Amino acid sequence: MSTLIVIDQPPYGSWAGREALDMAFSLAAFDQPVSLLFCGAGVNWLRKGQEPGTIRQKSVEKNLAAAPIFGVEALLADGDDCNRYGLEAEQLLDGVTVVQADSQLFTNYSHTAFAG
Amino acid sequence: MSEQQIPQRNNEGFLEDAWTWTPEVAQAIAAEDSIDLSENHWEIIEFLRDFYKEHEVSPPSNRLFVKAVKEAFGEEKGNSIYLMQLFPGTPAKTACRIAGLPRPTNCL
Amino acid sequence: MTEIQTLHILNKSPEHPRFARCLSMAGPEDGILLIENGVLGLGAASARASGKLMVLAPDMAARGVNGGAESAEIIDYERMVELTTRAQQVISW
Repeated sequence: MSTLIVIDQPPYGSWAGREALDMAFSLAAFDQPVSLLFCGAGVNWLRKGQEPGTIRQKSVEKNLAAAPIFGVEALLADGDDCNRYGLEAEQLLDGVTVVQADSQLFTNYSHTAFAG
Repeated sequence: MSEQQIPQRNNEGFLEDAWTWTPEVAQAIAAEDSIDLSENHWEIIEFLRDFYKEHEVSPPSNRLFVKAVKEAFGEEKGNSIYLMQLFPGTPAKTACRIAGLPRPTNCL
Repeated sequence: MTEIQTLHILNKSPEHPRFARCLSMAGPEDGILLIENGVLGLGAASARASGKLMVLAPDMAARGVNGGAESAEIIDYERMVELTTRAQQVISW
């Protein structure tokens, strides 16, 4: 029973992604295998150097860095979507694995859930 | 430190602003729960302060608090019995309150 | 009852980008279940879905949607639960 939570919406514009992150952390808290996939505009979660203090929000970059500590198995990013947003590998947070988000990837998880 | 000198808090006793915290504030809040802060307490409090600086979030639940402590200090301290002895009640809540962090979101 | 490889639970209306993405990803072995606002895309999905198309009755009734279901199986909550337990994988769009 492994779960993939997919975030395809950009950070800071809405709460959907943060709720998804919370869901991933909760699954990890109960030792349920869970990974996060960022695709579409969601890849912008992974950009290094975010300073959302300017808009009085907490940094999703810093929040995400806690994922491995809480037991989230993997942070995945869709390669094509990273290219689309001009994100090179070295601009991504540490520990992110670039993948191709297709139906083949989803077969590795018994449940895939899109956020929001 | 008297009640008046503790920075602004919410109705559950958590600091409104984590950056107004000082070690003296921790002692004053701990005293309300009759906790006398030992070196073992300070180790966890400092861990939580660093965690918050690094991640801008409190461990969201008690389980994740225990997990994070285990990750940092190993099994011996990263278990709920040890943490409950130091921070009675719900350890994540009690410890975050004393460390000046926001209330863990998923603790009842 | 035919086995379903992947059950796609689609709760977005047709304008949502995930609606098209779901339809393009679902293969002939898969099931597509329209729920919530997804039922509004019944017509669009009937024309394009390659897998088995299903639609949740209470969500149809709530929105007054009753046409376009000729090619879809109309199911209740109980059947939905059964489907989620039988599918190899579930994707909630």
